[in-house]
Amino acid sequence: MSYKEHSDQDLVRLCLKTDERAARELVERFERPVFSLVYRMVRDRELAEDLTQEVFVRTFNNLQRYDRSYKFSSWLFKIAYNLTVDHLRKKQVKTISMHGSPDAVTPERQQATSLSLESDEESPDAMVEARELAGYLEDAIARLRPEYRTAILLRHVEGRPYEEIADIMGVPLGTVKTYIFRARRELRDLLEDRWDGGDEE
Amino acid sequence: MNTNHQERARHLQAEELEALAIPGDHRLPARSSAHAAECDRCRRDVEELQTLHVLLQALTPLQPVVGFTDRVMQRVRLPLPWRVRVLQAVRKHQVATAAAFAGAAAAVGVGLVWIARYPELTPMTIAALLVQRSTTLMWSGVMEVGRFVYGSGIVETAQGVAGQLTLVTAFVAVATVTLIGLASLRIMLSLMDVDPALVTSHWQLRRRVRG
Repeated sequence: MSYKEHSDQDLVRLCLKTDERAARELVERFERPVFSLVYRMVRDRELAEDLTQEVFVRTFNNLQRYDRSYKFSSWLFKIAYNLTVDHLRKKQVKTISMHGSPDAVTPERQQATSLSLESDEESPDAMVEARELAGYLEDAIARLRPEYRTAILLRHVEGRPYEEIADIMGVPLGTVKTYIFRARRELRDLLEDRWDGGDEE
Repeated sequence: MNTNHQERARHLQAEELEALAIPGDHRLPARSSAHAAECDRCRRDVEELQTLHVLLQALTPLQPVVGFTDRVMQRVRLPLPWRVRVLQAVRKHQVATAAAFAGAAAAVGVGLVWIARYPELTPMTIAALLVQRSTTLMWSGVMEVGRFVYGSGIVETAQGVAGQLTLVTAFVAVATVTLIGLASLRIMLSLMDVDPALVTSHWQLRRRVRG
């Protein structure tokens, strides 16, 4: 049975027996969703990679404390959320833009920190349009409060149920519902022009 | 009838909107779809939520740079199983471990010789002796340590210990060596890369088959 076929819980069990291949499989399995979430929170590629790396290091260093009655991914996202929010609080990140980190002072740094969107299958026109729309959406998401941003990303991008999001964020279920409701309303307002334009077409 | 009409006329709640807009295993009340079909406002809300969900789902999953996994793995320290920790401790304190093994082996040897001198001993008499002599042994041990500490000399101490050698000492020695033997077995299994859990489950399976 290859490691790819193992469940998360099985891999955790193997990690507790110091199986490095199991740990590697877990990293490969979750690096994209965790990095995506962290990146969309901090909007700086280098910083997001550092934080994501720290998330995995903390996760594995504390693996013996992991309560197996919870989903491993919830625990991982919880660590990612706490670490990122701590960072945002410490740094008090202000303006956020899809064109790169607010701390980027040189064009190279802006390029390095800007969001890259990939699409191989679409025509050039559709690609430009999709890239533009995705750009507006990313920009709109970046303008949300970190709590709203996390909640809506976990709900709509990661497809997590409300109860799990409440657990990850450490807030009551009702609060998560409020966050998501307000995030949707704010996104709708921020994207209003695009929305109406899209309707007319 | 009137109540049904009022219920159907009520605008959709957030959960109902989501159940209509996002495919999944939501339990959708029949009245929700009926209301959405009639109410422009709710239909528009559903469509908006649907659009937003599709847009968010279409966001490109971001990928960290190549080599990210390797960098993470270099920093990760996985928790070590107890047998590996024991092995590391043994490697670190080789002299102390060798001394402990030698001491245990000597104790076992002496104990076995002592037991061989009393072939008439039964488990019951051994147990009775254990209870009777444990207190004496404890005080004797304290006295011997005291004598040693106060510099009565190695020979005298050894003589004292030999004089106090009882069945209890032999029993303790055998127990210690058994434990050391089991620990050594686990270390050997780990060195041979055999999971002790597999051995245990194999024994359990055999027991079940026999049962």
